[in-house]
Amino acid sequence: MKTRLAILILVVLLALLPAYAGKYAVYVVIHILLLSIFSLGFNLLFGYTGLLSFGQAGFYAMGAYGCAKILLAYPSLLVGIVGGVVTAGAVSLLLGFLCIRHTRIYFSMLTLSFGMMIFSLAWKWRDMTGGDDGLVGIPRAPLEIPGLFKINMAPMENYYYVVLAFAILAITLFYRIVHSPMGLAMQGIRDSETRTACIGISVRKYRLLSFTIAGLYAGLAGALLPPLESTVTPPLAHWSHSAEPVLATLLGGVHTFAGPIVGSVLFYLLKDIIVRFTEYWQLCLGIIVVVLVMGFRGGVASIFLRERGRR
Amino acid sequence: MKAILRTESLGKYFGEMAAVHEVNLSLQEGLFTSVIGPNGAGKTTLINILSGYMLPDRGKIYFREKEITRLGPDKRVKMGISRSFQVMNIFPRMTVFQNILLPVLSRLNKTSSAFSSLQSQKEAVGEAEKILGEVWLQKEKDSRGGELSHGDQRLLELGIAVATNPQLCFLDEPSSGMNPIERIKVLELVKKLASERNTTFIIVEHDMDIVFSLSDWIVVMNRGEVLAEGKPGDIRENQEVRDIYLGEDI
Ligand SMILES: Nc1ncnc2c1ncn2[C@@H]1O[C@H](COP(=O)(O)OP(=O)(O)OP(=O)(O)O)[C@@H](O)[C@H]1O
Ligand SMILES: [Mg+2]
Repeated sequence: MKTRLAILILVVLLALLPAYAGKYAVYVVIHILLLSIFSLGFNLLFGYTGLLSFGQAGFYAMGAYGCAKILLAYPSLLVGIVGGVVTAGAVSLLLGFLCIRHTRIYFSMLTLSFGMMIFSLAWKWRDMTGGDDGLVGIPRAPLEIPGLFKINMAPMENYYYVVLAFAILAITLFYRIVHSPMGLAMQGIRDSETRTACIGISVRKYRLLSFTIAGLYAGLAGALLPPLESTVTPPLAHWSHSAEPVLATLLGGVHTFAGPIVGSVLFYLLKDIIVRFTEYWQLCLGIIVVVLVMGFRGGVASIFLRERGRR
Repeated sequence: MKAILRTESLGKYFGEMAAVHEVNLSLQEGLFTSVIGPNGAGKTTLINILSGYMLPDRGKIYFREKEITRLGPDKRVKMGISRSFQVMNIFPRMTVFQNILLPVLSRLNKTSSAFSSLQSQKEAVGEAEKILGEVWLQKEKDSRGGELSHGDQRLLELGIAVATNPQLCFLDEPSSGMNPIERIKVLELVKKLASERNTTFIIVEHDMDIVFSLSDWIVVMNRGEVLAEGKPGDIRENQEVRDIYLGEDI
């Protein structure tokens, strides 16, 4: 009951955000929502299935480039976003086949390599990706279903509501997935792969599903970016970007449902603040993350959710 | 009586060492069968091969006369074969209830359901509750698997193995690490489950008193080979068996 009320208040506050907060705050919240979606997907693999991926930025970039290419050719926001998500999902399904045959450090290294392959593709395949200049001038196309409605997205506040809607949808779906039989099967694999196989569950199938869903989430976060920034560049696919959901999740808590979301808020705000004071922001951020992770074993979110050991 | 599981010249080799060698077994449906033998005799390796956890290097395995030699463990479970592990292998971070619910969901082919809640799986929930009661873990339902006492973890291990409702179930030292009184209780529970659930259990057990009093059939292994098999009375009289258990009272 308490949790529900808190969620309701949070959603109302978010829904009214443009009314009481400035443009910059709206911009920051959009980024936090993107990182939350990105981190949740990552945590399906890590916290729920026991696979640590260092290549999620590759799928994020697939979503971003996919959406950008579509918007440049055909300016419809929905088509762009859905197209980006589908691209990322297809690529993650494909690479998933290869990655999920391995676990632990081998899996991590493989995802890292594939992520970097996507990065170099973004860098080198100039005709397609614009190389190091990236793709520019991506329109924030109107949200439109022909014959039904057409909403202008030029004001960022309008686009904020699109992102918020997608984030709420993604988070709700995620909640259902991890509390479903399929989610339980993934947790079984995390706890004991051999035991899971010996109760009749195909470990590979559920690892692949988890990998693909994580890829879809990364793709969604990525696809929501180009309409905001109007540009996409190769660093989106870089491994250091893959590290962001890892750190956000560790900060917030691997084993709590809301951990990656809480972590994303913290991570983004910390980064945003530190960047203003020092060019060594990565070093400072690294130290703070280490201190927080060691100080709050189980993540910052576990303080709020301790009672029921919710995951 | 008919063989529920049969092997032909089964072999598994680790380098030079024959962990299982030339094993020709015919396990009878409905017979409470024990596999005994000294440490390193190959009992666990045999279970690993029969449950699909490891592939044999030689030989064939038939389940109800269907060849299953190279089938993966998950497929064998679907056919009705399950197992427990000698070294505790439960789901430590999941609750005791979820530990049992997952194999039940697996048996009911419900694990690909991605959007329904666990509570909405009425049939599975009911069955899991029932099994929890059968293995005396009703009270521990909401604890995490990893937080249980050793004895309760062994019971959970047993519960998971029977939750897939197997026709044939291998239990690798279900009472290891327990005191003699607990051992008897657990083995009697297994016997009870065998008759109630119509499951053929093949157990590995070190306590000879229990083995000889509870088993219908005993398979003796030594150095990877089956040294003898037969009724408890015959095994007790077997000189070769007496030799490998030299000094022990059987
Ligand atoms: N994965 C493995 N790699 C190498 N050797 C192994 C492996 N598994 C088992 N062995 C060896 O095979 C032999 C048989 O082992 P196994 O575990 O099957 O014996 P066991 O009869 O179950 O013994 P215990 O009563 O101690 O459980 C032993 O010598 C063991 O060291
Ligand atoms: Mg053994």
